Amino acid sequence: MRVSLEWLAEYVDLPASAHDLAEMLNGSGTAVEAVEEIGEGFEAFVVGRVLEVKAHPSADRLSLCRVDLGGEVADIVCGAPNVRPGMLSPVAPPGSRLPDGTRISEATIRGVASRGMLLSEKELGISEEADGIMVLEEGAKAGARLSDVLAARDTVLDLEITPNRPDCLSMLGIAREVAALTGQKVKSPEFALREEGAPAADAVRVDIEDGDLCSRYAARVIEEVGIHASPWWMRRRLQAAGVRPISNVVDVTNYVMLETGQPLHAFDLDLVKDGHIIVRRAANGEAMTTLDGVERRLARDDLLICDPSGPVALAGVMGGEHTEVSASTTRILLESAHFDPANIMRTARLQELPSEASYRFERGVDPGGCVRAADRAAFLMQELAGGTVRPGAVDARARIIEPVSLVLRVRRTAAIIGADIGGEEMASYLRSIELEAEMVKEDGGEDTIRVTVPTFRPDLEREIDLVEEVARLYGYGRIAPTLPRSSHNIGSLTPQQGKRREVARILAGMGLHEAICHAFISPRWLEILDPDRQCLPSAPVILRNPISEEMSVMRPLLLPGLLEAVRYNLNRQVAGLLFFEMGRTFVPRAREKLPEEAQKLGCALAARWLPKQWHRDAEDVDFFAAKGILERLMSSLRVTSWDLRREGFPFLHPAQSCAVSIRDRDVGFLGLVHPRVAAAADVPPNTAVLEIALDPLIAAALEPLPYEEIPRYPSIQMDLAVVVDGGVDAGEVEDVIWEAGGELLREVRLFDLYRGDQLGEGEKSLAFSLSFYALDRTLRDDEVRSVYEGIIAKLAGGLGARLR
Amino acid sequence: MAAKDFLDEIRADPELGGIYEEARAALESAADSEALEGVRVAYLGRKGRLSVLLQGIKRLEPEEKRRVGRLGNLLKGWLEKALADKGGLLRIGEMEEALRREEVDITLPGRAFPAGTRHLLSSIIEEIEDIFIGMGYRLVEGPEVELDYYNFEALNTPAWHPSKSLSDTFYVDVPGSGSDDVLLRTQTSPVQVRVMEATPPPLYVIAPGKAYRRDVPDATHSPMFHQVEGLAVDEGITLGDLKGTLEHFTRRMFGEERDVRFRPHFFPFTEPSAEVDVSCNICGGSGCRVCKGTGWLEILGAGMVDPNVFGYVGYDPEEVSGFAFGMGVERIALLKYGVPDIRYFFDNDLRLLRQY
Repeated sequence: MRVSLEWLAEYVDLPASAHDLAEMLNGSGTAVEAVEEIGEGFEAFVVGRVLEVKAHPSADRLSLCRVDLGGEVADIVCGAPNVRPGMLSPVAPPGSRLPDGTRISEATIRGVASRGMLLSEKELGISEEADGIMVLEEGAKAGARLSDVLAARDTVLDLEITPNRPDCLSMLGIAREVAALTGQKVKSPEFALREEGAPAADAVRVDIEDGDLCSRYAARVIEEVGIHASPWWMRRRLQAAGVRPISNVVDVTNYVMLETGQPLHAFDLDLVKDGHIIVRRAANGEAMTTLDGVERRLARDDLLICDPSGPVALAGVMGGEHTEVSASTTRILLESAHFDPANIMRTARLQELPSEASYRFERGVDPGGCVRAADRAAFLMQELAGGTVRPGAVDARARIIEPVSLVLRVRRTAAIIGADIGGEEMASYLRSIELEAEMVKEDGGEDTIRVTVPTFRPDLEREIDLVEEVARLYGYGRIAPTLPRSSHNIGSLTPQQGKRREVARILAGMGLHEAICHAFISPRWLEILDPDRQCLPSAPVILRNPISEEMSVMRPLLLPGLLEAVRYNLNRQVAGLLFFEMGRTFVPRAREKLPEEAQKLGCALAARWLPKQWHRDAEDVDFFAAKGILERLMSSLRVTSWDLRREGFPFLHPAQSCAVSIRDRDVGFLGLVHPRVAAAADVPPNTAVLEIALDPLIAAALEPLPYEEIPRYPSIQMDLAVVVDGGVDAGEVEDVIWEAGGELLREVRLFDLYRGDQLGEGEKSLAFSLSFYALDRTLRDDEVRSVYEGIIAKLAGGLGARLR
Repeated sequence: MAAKDFLDEIRADPELGGIYEEARAALESAADSEALEGVRVAYLGRKGRLSVLLQGIKRLEPEEKRRVGRLGNLLKGWLEKALADKGGLLRIGEMEEALRREEVDITLPGRAFPAGTRHLLSSIIEEIEDIFIGMGYRLVEGPEVELDYYNFEALNTPAWHPSKSLSDTFYVDVPGSGSDDVLLRTQTSPVQVRVMEATPPPLYVIAPGKAYRRDVPDATHSPMFHQVEGLAVDEGITLGDLKGTLEHFTRRMFGEERDVRFRPHFFPFTEPSAEVDVSCNICGGSGCRVCKGTGWLEILGAGMVDPNVFGYVGYDPEEVSGFAFGMGVERIALLKYGVPDIRYFFDNDLRLLRQY
């Protein structure tokens, strides 16, 4: 809501500075978003009379004007279509500066010298838009300073009005707030309406058929109006409020709406059949053309204003084209009504037709203020359009919305606020905003205040609503800050929450960067990753109203976002593409409204693992980079009950992928991305990924750790190099070693892998370092030797291994 | 007998004196351990001059044998010590020399242990969590795909509220569920309702997490963002308690010197409601571009839990009262670290991630 202080001052005395006023409004719940100065520097502009307009010799759209600036006549090039000889317009002489900062200098425009600039209202900063240069009213002298002839100086506050305060969508509502905060009374505009002729009821009839959607419809009749432009003061105020002036009659409806908060509509009465207004729901599929020339298809829940031949307005939203006020209009039917807020909001949204009127109706206008607003507008039409006003308003009321009565408990109010505010003080705050408040002292009971809420405050329905009024008028700033005096609050992370943080720290400690990716992905990803939907849901969780298709599917995996992070950085030549993310994935569940949201950990590693350094070569990412991350994570978390199993996934390299299990339950996958995926995702072929469910990981990490005795006797180390067939996994060899090693074998570490000339075709050599010890004695060489021999025998027997 | 005395006696003997003088000169001129070893061999080696001399004394007269034997052995002792002393000196020098040859270029880069990073938003969430844990709060979570009931209805948001429209809220099709009241939560506030449903008062919790609104991405809007919700319900909780709690939080988060301001505001699920501003750190409160000339930066929405919300979860508003608050993590990050564009947080640009 844009509030002109020049206008507001008509209803209430304002503090000396706009800054003080802004502070005051901020402190009481009306946030000031911007303070705008209008009409500054108009001393530098002068009034010019256009004497002569000639076509520019070399530009069709430009005219060459001779303009009388009082003491001199200047040649000025002008591009406005409306420039005519004889008109008075503001002129910016060379050396002056426009409100937007543009400096005006003598210039040559297409070969013709121009000494200054004829100004539009937009260039003067008093209007959002302009069709041409501004036309000043007759009476000003050429050469006069613009600031002396045009009262334009103003300060406009841009206020954020919260949706619960429709009363503040009006100058009088804001004035009421200022009055309450400064201890004044609002000066309502006073006017004397002169009514003439036959009663309005003789010319107009109103029937409300759907009273649930329209509680009241008041109409006035104003005749013999002359349609022309409004006077400067009204145009300026409308413009300050952000409303475009149109003609006196329409401007008056807007002006009174801004003043009182009551939207009004003016019909050309001669175009309303029989002067008969019917307020009713639309028939399904009924059509009407609104003022903007758009034909609109309506449904049963849309409310219409009709005459006997059909719709004349979309109630509360926009008038109809057919009954629009035009230059030839002489008789006005003025509508001032109260509609159901939710219904107006629905229609305005469905029709995508937000308007100043619907904005107010959907928040709730004062059902008690319809007639007064109509009177005020009729008066202004009388004044500004020369209209004669028929006696009386036709005031159709489907039902009467009564003021609400509430009881406010004094002690409870003080207890909620946490401030020692007395009952009388509370009552005075409520009275300051024009509520009726009566203290009731109860013997032995709690003091209460009986409050009657005027109909312009539909937001005050409950005791707590009044508590808020007391608190804000008392001032939040005056409430002493305290802390809850509870002994119930013991703050901590749960063990699971603590471990989750630890997981992130471990990964960051390994050199991975935490990414946060969008939870919605493109459906294309599902095609790339799993075209046959072998493991992703065939019907994922999707958005019904996405911003774009690129963000329309709730991710069933973290993988897509991580690959996008890889690609994003790769495209920008950023190295070190090691990412992890901890976030949720979304998979539908049978017979459940909400999908399963699993906490996942994902990693993506691509290109270089370590860069080339002066003392070592670069290391590229491979399968074992991801496996190393997982191993290190597990050992840091002291999780031993995990395993990898060869397993195919449609998005992973078929020969370099595996399933991850924890405590024999599959929790995710690890591997190199499939070359098909790498190509489609535009990531390097050596991109290794890992994605596992966090909850089982954390559960395993929280298992208690038993004490393991520390050996006191020396251990014996032996190396074992065996040659096996290339198809035998290192893990199989290791399993046999453990099995054969018995209880004395304590550690097995693979330290070398060799394939080559010294071995037979298809063979490989694996070298392990074995460590033996006993907890109760020093081992003898011969007993270790016999275990060692046993291992070799088992390897030979089981895997056909031979010593190298 | 003092050393000088026997050296004088040695010098007085022509033969021993000669050996002494020559050995001393040789010792002095030995420049390294090798030369020194040469000196030792020349005098004390099996065929060394002093060794030979001492071997020869058995052929001398008894008295002469005693004198030469005594002086010869004293000379030997002296020479051994002098050799050891000189050897020690030479070794120190030689080691220093050897170490000098091992000098490295300390300006070469060290071996790489590349550092990873937490995401700035995660760090800020943890910082917020820790401040509230310190004030006695626990962490709770709720689903991101949520029911209208929890996101709007039980938060006292009327059915016709504009924020529920298709242009503001993402609605979700969950295959097989056949319902049209499933959405991406637009705030973390539904967790309030869920936790109150599940737990009797008193309650001191915060709920960090993602939220979604149908905003087209620009410098200050992202369709996905993070919030931290807070809720305290107990007997006798006041608006003053809310003020004290959030003042403490704000100063911890932004600096003890910052001013905090509470402005009345409106939220459907709190009443009285407030917006909380912190004084602008760029201009110190005098007004600048960042704070749009106001001197204040809005960081939080808060208020006393609306009695209607208590009604939905079966709490008795006559017995308990409470406050709730919510803050945008991205906004805090933008303000605290001067990141100019909210979209940067989800680009995962390593050049940004590595800065924090």
